[in-house]
Amino acid sequence: MFLGITGYNHESSAALVNDNGNLVNYYREEVLSRIKGDKSFPKRSINEILKFNNLSIDDIKGVAFYERPLSAFLNPLKIAALNLPKSLSLISHQCRNFDKSSISCFLDISKNFSGLEKKLIYLDHHLSHTLTALPYSSIQNDICSIVIDGFGDRSTSSISKVNNLFNIQEIWSCEYPVSLGLFYSAITDYLGFQVNEGEYKVMGLAAFGDSNSEIAKKVYQLVSWDNSSKRIVMDMSYFSYHVSPKESFSEKLINILGEPRNPFAQLLPEESDFEYYANIAAGAQKAITDNLCHIFTFANSITGSKRFLFSGGVASNSAALDTLSRLEFVDEIIVPPSPGDAGCSIGAAYYAYLKSHNKSIKKLPKPNLFPSKFNSSRQKLLAKKIIKEKFKILANNYEDSITKAVALLKKGEVIGTILNDSETGPRALGNRSLICDGKSQDAVKTLNSFIKNRSPFRPTAPCMKMSTAKKYYDLRPELMGCYRYMNATCKCKDENIAINFPTTHIDGTVRLQIVDESHLLHKLLTSLENENIDILANSSLNVSGDPTCFDLIDGLMMCSLRPLKYIFTDFGLLESLT
Amino acid sequence: MDKEESRYLNVMHETACAEFGSALEMLAACKSSDKESFAYGYFEHSKDEYNHTKTFLSLLSKVGKKSDVNIARNFRLNANSLITKGYISRKGYLVETMSIKDFIAYVYTNELLAKESFEKILKLVRKNTKEGNLIQKIMKDELRHHGMAQQHFLKYYPRLQPWHLLIYKLRESVKNKGRKFYDKNLKFLDKILTPLYLSMAYFASKIVVRIDLKEFKREGKNLMEIHPKSII
Repeated sequence: MFLGITGYNHESSAALVNDNGNLVNYYREEVLSRIKGDKSFPKRSINEILKFNNLSIDDIKGVAFYERPLSAFLNPLKIAALNLPKSLSLISHQCRNFDKSSISCFLDISKNFSGLEKKLIYLDHHLSHTLTALPYSSIQNDICSIVIDGFGDRSTSSISKVNNLFNIQEIWSCEYPVSLGLFYSAITDYLGFQVNEGEYKVMGLAAFGDSNSEIAKKVYQLVSWDNSSKRIVMDMSYFSYHVSPKESFSEKLINILGEPRNPFAQLLPEESDFEYYANIAAGAQKAITDNLCHIFTFANSITGSKRFLFSGGVASNSAALDTLSRLEFVDEIIVPPSPGDAGCSIGAAYYAYLKSHNKSIKKLPKPNLFPSKFNSSRQKLLAKKIIKEKFKILANNYEDSITKAVALLKKGEVIGTILNDSETGPRALGNRSLICDGKSQDAVKTLNSFIKNRSPFRPTAPCMKMSTAKKYYDLRPELMGCYRYMNATCKCKDENIAINFPTTHIDGTVRLQIVDESHLLHKLLTSLENENIDILANSSLNVSGDPTCFDLIDGLMMCSLRPLKYIFTDFGLLESLT
Repeated sequence: MDKEESRYLNVMHETACAEFGSALEMLAACKSSDKESFAYGYFEHSKDEYNHTKTFLSLLSKVGKKSDVNIARNFRLNANSLITKGYISRKGYLVETMSIKDFIAYVYTNELLAKESFEKILKLVRKNTKEGNLIQKIMKDELRHHGMAQQHFLKYYPRLQPWHLLIYKLRESVKNKGRKFYDKNLKFLDKILTPLYLSMAYFASKIVVRIDLKEFKREGKNLMEIHPKSII
């Protein structure tokens, strides 16, 4: 068994790969701790992995950490040191928090899991991303890997050629502090959203804006691609993330864009300032998309590859993928279900696995979509009184639950799901979801605004069968894998009825999920076909700002706190009495 | 005005963090219970604390949206700050690090201490206002939680005398005062030591700029061949 771990600088997680190279278990620390974006050492995740799989420390043959700790510490420190005196507070902050950086990884492992530290190895951060994405590809040699994120341990963007599993050659990189990810995060911060959390909101907001507006052009010009030097160019005087522990943008940015948005003010389409901020978001989105196009084009020219693994936080930008897929040389783009740093523990675990096999491995098996193991039987007993006091059991077996759920969906109700193992995240694919009739304006509004408490400008994703998707949407063959994980948007077909569906975004795109035949969602959709419901809205089971629910008790709590009446569980369909 | 506004936002922000931390503590206690009745009790307690968090966040938001943007930006709630601010220990949830008896004692005492803190908040928002009514409702909840913890003690630890509870309360009160004293002194020390930290940072940076990180560049290298024990 091989363990991969992430943490400290980014979201923490742990993954387990077995001796046959199968991903057998994976947890994000945040779903266990319930602290959104939890960056602490993933003690709970490792404990849960050991407990669930009945493993001792001796059973773990190797453990890999997703970045090189000293490199991750020194690189930003050096950039800060080159920017004295304005970076003095950042340097002081970094040095004082030395023990909370990934350098503590070795000590934390030895303190909490004594013996495991002797098996600890490290890999480059961007290699972690590449190895996370690689198993999801059916072709695992002669493929190009593009990693774009905020910052890892050295670079912020890179292009590598995967010749085979044991020969992954880095060809190009972009060094910190120039960073597409941190540029987008700085704009996220300027727009009043939380960094590392609000980037999705900026993406949703961008669709309402005009990228040709004056203000959008100003944002667009902040980052560009220099075709002669093949470099991303950023004027760092507009940004502060490399010199300040608190601020991500500078006074100079405020001088050109105006005061940042107040984070407490509601951002509503009918408000006067909405268009202004939407235009800023549109400028940032266009800048990201165009720079990605340049990087993909350059990657194609130097590797000759037409197939791309795309990972790193920026690969979560589902809106950019449709444009990338339209580049003439692209045959396929593979984005893993968890392209951000939380997913890197999967790549790290594969690295430990590969390192122990002395080049005998030719291919990594494709991981399943629900690797976060959960045993509902213990919690069912624990939650007995909670269910008795606060819920009514509408059906107590799977088939009856489906029949009842179909009737409820038909009536326009919203249903939550807590079904055995959980998704890799961050997208809920049906096991930790909120679902409703995807064509009902009222049901989608209830799900989005009342249950999830999301900003009204954020779209809700639809899920459907492949045959339905082909009917309504302009699917890109290059992104077929991404549609399984809800990782890419696509456009509605011209003059198609789908443009009016409530799950269609203002710009005529949807971030759709094509459901697997074996899944509950497929069964529900089959039963609903006679009722003229061929699309379900599907959103993660959480309140905006909280991690996705993981276990039964999280789901019951969600029902108690929000106006969510129904929850589909492993042992039946429950109705909240609250 | 700015100073007062800042103080108000700070109180609401810190209280929201504290309540959120409590909600998570109780949720963790619910999941690690060994009896369904305990799980139910912790579940209900956690739900109350979540609702309190929501109340404080709405009070924070109400004033925050009218505040100067540069002030308001400092009071965005980031769940990770529950750990950095110490509302949740880096070692784990209380129920994971304490004996169950000490945990109940902690709840018993802290709910009462929380109620006392809310009395100060009530003065800040004024009693006969909408906000004041909300705070009073929360105070009632805290007293109820305190009572529930007491009942639990009397039921499951019958050999404990009332003075045992007083000792627990005294112990937690001293610890709480100690924490506040430590925090205050830490802030004071931080102010005094900041010039020293900055000087040290300055000299550290003089060393760091001399480190040539270019030799660790990866371009043209096989990433799978870089030594797996190397931390740079």
